[in-house]
Amino acid sequence: MFGKLDWSAIPFSQPLPLITSFVLILIVIGLLILVTVKKWWPYLWHEWITSVDHKRIGVMYCLLGILMLIRGFADAIMMRTQQAVAIESAGYLTPEHYNQIFTAHGTIMILFGAMPLVLGFMNYLVPLQLGVRDVAFPTFNSVGFWLTASGALLVNVSLFIGEFARTGWLPYPPLSETTYTPGVGVDYYLWAVQISGIGTLITGINIVTTILKMRCRGMSYLRMPVFCWTALASCLLIVATFPILTAALAMLTLDRYADWNYFTNTAGGNPMMFVNLVWAWGHPEVYILVLPAFGIFSEIFSTFSGKPLFGYRSMVAATLFICIVSMLVWLHHFFTMGAGPAVNTFFGISSSIIAVGTGVKIYNWIFTMYGGRVRFEVPMLWSLGFIFTFIIGGLTGVLLAVPPADFLTHNSMFLVAHFHNVIVGGVVFALFAGLEYWFPKVFGFGLHPTWGKAAFWCAFVGFWVTFAPLYVLGLLGMTRRLQHINIPEWGPWLYVSLAGVGILILGVISQLTQLVVSIRDRDKLRDVTGDPWDGRSLEWATPSPPPFFNFAVMPNVEGEEAYWGIKLRAVETQQLAPEPKYEAIEMPLHSSVGFFTAFFTSVFGFAMVWHIWWMAILALVLAFAGFVVFAWRDKHEFEVPAEEVARVDRARRMAREAFLARLGEQGAVP
Amino acid sequence: MSTSDSDPRLYENALEQTEDHAPGDEPPEEGSHWVRNANLGLGFSIVLTVAAFLLAGSDVIYEPAIPVALIVLAIAQMGVHLVFFLHITTGPDNTNNVLALAFGLLVVFVVVIGSVWIMSHLNQNMMPMDQLMKMQP
Repeated sequence: MFGKLDWSAIPFSQPLPLITSFVLILIVIGLLILVTVKKWWPYLWHEWITSVDHKRIGVMYCLLGILMLIRGFADAIMMRTQQAVAIESAGYLTPEHYNQIFTAHGTIMILFGAMPLVLGFMNYLVPLQLGVRDVAFPTFNSVGFWLTASGALLVNVSLFIGEFARTGWLPYPPLSETTYTPGVGVDYYLWAVQISGIGTLITGINIVTTILKMRCRGMSYLRMPVFCWTALASCLLIVATFPILTAALAMLTLDRYADWNYFTNTAGGNPMMFVNLVWAWGHPEVYILVLPAFGIFSEIFSTFSGKPLFGYRSMVAATLFICIVSMLVWLHHFFTMGAGPAVNTFFGISSSIIAVGTGVKIYNWIFTMYGGRVRFEVPMLWSLGFIFTFIIGGLTGVLLAVPPADFLTHNSMFLVAHFHNVIVGGVVFALFAGLEYWFPKVFGFGLHPTWGKAAFWCAFVGFWVTFAPLYVLGLLGMTRRLQHINIPEWGPWLYVSLAGVGILILGVISQLTQLVVSIRDRDKLRDVTGDPWDGRSLEWATPSPPPFFNFAVMPNVEGEEAYWGIKLRAVETQQLAPEPKYEAIEMPLHSSVGFFTAFFTSVFGFAMVWHIWWMAILALVLAFAGFVVFAWRDKHEFEVPAEEVARVDRARRMAREAFLARLGEQGAVP
Repeated sequence: MSTSDSDPRLYENALEQTEDHAPGDEPPEEGSHWVRNANLGLGFSIVLTVAAFLLAGSDVIYEPAIPVALIVLAIAQMGVHLVFFLHITTGPDNTNNVLALAFGLLVVFVVVIGSVWIMSHLNQNMMPMDQLMKMQP
């Protein structure tokens, strides 16, 4: 009846996951009761869960990403603590548990933390920056988000029911085959990543289509903000490479479920093929994350330097160069697997060459600041911290790209330090900078700057104190993923690293405090103008928060930096453009199909993990039925009457006129 | 501070001639032309499929050349699908589709050729011990 599922799946003997899951379950039940008591369900259901508004979906993506970053950070704390206490002793985590933790940490941080945040930013910003009202396929967008959430749910269910994979974040066979890992851990991984991968692919298709087909009038390709360019490159990579991951994991699934032999050691299987395929996705994945991060920094550097971005066209060229070359470097993840000199040399050189594109970008950002009036606001601090951190991460990367050097540092703590250096320093810093920068646009009030500065300095210092010792440990010969340590000389470095984690915890606390304090003081921090940072792209032309239709009248772009041109003209003439003629707008109706499908897809994934075949078939049929019902709908748009559009836009124009008058009194030209 | 407002008159004929169209989303044209186009494509693809099956078992052409002939027929088949069913043309309203096709081909080329090259190296260098023994004289 219930396949492999019985009471032994609940980890009664392990207090740590048991207590954690009970606390989590209590929190969830508490939240559900709160929502019910306060009668928030209708609001949540109609305004968020079934919303097809790209802004709401973007916010939900970010929320999911932040929750998962905290979960992944908890894993990181446990790993660093374990390595610090397990010097010549067993530590407090069993090897099986420790292996699950580093697997979950990698999987969650990349696929369920960073990815949703990056996708959330793209979802929120691309339509606003392009001057359009929604993405190309709004309901599809909602399906994509809920499938990603479904994958995240499955990973977290594994904490309480069963176990997670112990194979590392990319489950290399033959270890991940049933012969060596008979449990359900790898199955949880496979279905969670597979389901969320479909969600990511959907969003990728959506953003590519939006950028190629839906720009507002006058927004030619070379007038798009750099963030849109990086989103385009990133989503092209999603569309090109996520199918490789899907195929590789599907083959591993067949090996595990149907005893096929794609990646086994026997019967003609070849485990090395999995490594090859998974990295053909895995390396572009790194750039899927970091390219939008570069876009965020480009926006921030130009805004806070009060200058147009230096070398816009070279920035676009560098982005597309990275987009293509990132697909030509994947072998550098397995130089040591036995390829000959020709292959290793080719991939070594292409890995080094990709640093040229990144170098172009770094110089462009530095030259953007040169001669500008730099304002050291919190987003700018994160960006400056990024330049410093990312250059060092990039240089260690060039070192690792040299095959002979890689043979010495492969799978060592040096590698661990390197990729945290580029992912934390590049992607995570960008996400925090972006949250700080666009928060007033999204919620209508800014974040408290003092706590933001505290969070930055704790994260920046904490990062270096945590990871600089890991570089040293790697050069001393410590390999990654050690459950206990037999060499006491490594002890001091591990203690320093643990102290760094302590500073990072202070950073996380500062971030959360900042959020609480800002919500408390929201009236003081209110953004009335819609343009709190003196921005340059179209999202700042809308009020904060933007109305659900974004633009009352579609903008007409007449140059690079669309909003800056409009703003300069308004300041020179001391008046806004004449009021346009408002017309009724058609907007897509909200739809529950995304939530419905993802709910049954989660059930399907869970049933497949535990081999409950009847439930899997039933859930799959129901998930598909959701689409069929949706396809039969008669009405898919509703009309926003012209008066409503006019009312919202006149309020915006009043705020802008007041702002303009204030500027005129001060005699300040932005 | 102002405003994203524009001249609404610019919007009246938003659908320009040069606008790019997705496959299946072209502006409506005469039904007969569409049906003729699809039938022509169907005819070509049937001819190419039948030719491939017949050629494989026949001795019409020089036998070692049959694989090459099959590859030629396969590529022609792809071309027929692209032109008649996916409506890829060289016209200016089709730039995105052609670029998307080129990008897809590039990705497939890179992954397939790269994998074959890498795996041949790995198989050569990482041969299982028993096979390696067999190769010793």
